[in-house]
Amino acid sequence: MNHVELMAPAGSFEALQAALDNGADSVYFGIEQLNMRAVSSINFTEEDLGEIVRRCRERGVRTYITLNTILYDHDMALMRRIVDRAAAEGVSAIIAADHAAIAYARSKGVEVHMSTQANITNAETVKFYSLFADTMVLSRELTVSQVKTIVDSIRREHILGPSGELVQVEIFAHGALCMAVSGKCYLSLHTHNSSANRGACRQNCRKKYYVTDEDGQELLIDNEYIMSPKDLCTIDILDQVLDAGVRVLKIEGRGRAADYVATTTRCYREAIDAWKEGTYSREKVEGWLEQLGTVYNRGFWNGYYLGQELGEWTEDHPGSHATQKKIYIGQGQNYFSKTGIAQFKVEAFSLSPGDEILITGPTTGAQTLTLAALMVGDQPANEARKGDQCTFPTPFKIRPSDKLYKLVEADGR
Amino acid sequence: MPSITITLQREKCIGCNYCADHAAEFFRMSKKDGKSNLLHSEEKRGFHTVRTSRTEALEGLESAARSCPVKIIKVSLNKR
Repeated sequence: MNHVELMAPAGSFEALQAALDNGADSVYFGIEQLNMRAVSSINFTEEDLGEIVRRCRERGVRTYITLNTILYDHDMALMRRIVDRAAAEGVSAIIAADHAAIAYARSKGVEVHMSTQANITNAETVKFYSLFADTMVLSRELTVSQVKTIVDSIRREHILGPSGELVQVEIFAHGALCMAVSGKCYLSLHTHNSSANRGACRQNCRKKYYVTDEDGQELLIDNEYIMSPKDLCTIDILDQVLDAGVRVLKIEGRGRAADYVATTTRCYREAIDAWKEGTYSREKVEGWLEQLGTVYNRGFWNGYYLGQELGEWTEDHPGSHATQKKIYIGQGQNYFSKTGIAQFKVEAFSLSPGDEILITGPTTGAQTLTLAALMVGDQPANEARKGDQCTFPTPFKIRPSDKLYKLVEADGR
Repeated sequence: MPSITITLQREKCIGCNYCADHAAEFFRMSKKDGKSNLLHSEEKRGFHTVRTSRTEALEGLESAARSCPVKIIKVSLNKR
């Protein structure tokens, strides 16, 4: 009853590894084009499935394929192939909204999770979908008390999924929110012919808008980003969310980099563990909020979970409010395993002992450390500049596919 | 003889169906992988190309290119 599953986004092998290294219980990802990040994430191919499942299985981490766009008749063969491959490779479940995908997955014995795109807002709907699905991602617009009512109904009425277990309730815990109800938005389709419901959202809501009347008079509106909500964050109300009976927490962000996945997964892992141990506290929340603020964010709010009447909109600028930024320094060259020394070529800016660095790669994931010592050539150095081959100790292996970044305050360099 | 060259960067297709609606004689949705097929085209490094003398089809082809959400269709009229 007390088990809480933390689900992290994997939009790339880098992000996947970061999720695994930072305590995710499960990961979700798209295969080919039938998912809600068809355009903004690189998306894995059918051939990548084996590797993804292998890496996750080693850590006992569950794997979910997002197959949650609306589907057309010409998509059926691909949809079926993805489900068949999921079954063959041992993927834990598919996340779906279209009834064609749900029905086919069930017919093949593949576990189904109801996507938030299905907009589930009451226990009767949960009961209906329980014929097909074991986990329900509830609508993002519900309040915590509405979520609790649904969880209580599942327990009271003993609503079981196809697995024979009580249906699990999942919510979006952290990440981007959009202005549309459960992501069902037509703005992008109207302006760019690019349907959000086919994973091709052009993010109209993130822009600044001016309101002009028919005489050309511009109207003053207090907030310029009236369609761009701040990012959802529930780490400061996680006790309420978990006390309500939510058992799966999803972090949004398949379009995000590995360091984002590492930081958000680590913070929520710690928060869930603290809640379980009874050590969840305001002081810890402050620490996590500071950490979460270092990576991409549009400012935070609690979404609709506390019953806000209106959304909170992005302030100042629509891009990231991250307190930290990463500056690309160079590419991995060699790792000397016996001595634990990494060699990188500096391709831009410079590096000095004491710098906070981030190393990302498809196998390395996202690793951060403080640079203790630095060598250029055979000599200890105070600085490695563009063109230099530099070496420094790392407690993990690095690879030629790895990229090295320096982490700095967002307004510094 | 004027002609039209049509190119499709097929790999990036998200299967929205617009091109097949706007220029049905040239594009058809694949039942195999849900992406658009440029009929009778030849593939080179991911770009599928076909040339046609049916210049009356230009309008439909251009609106197919315009409506493509991922901008992977190029249509050009060759005057000679």
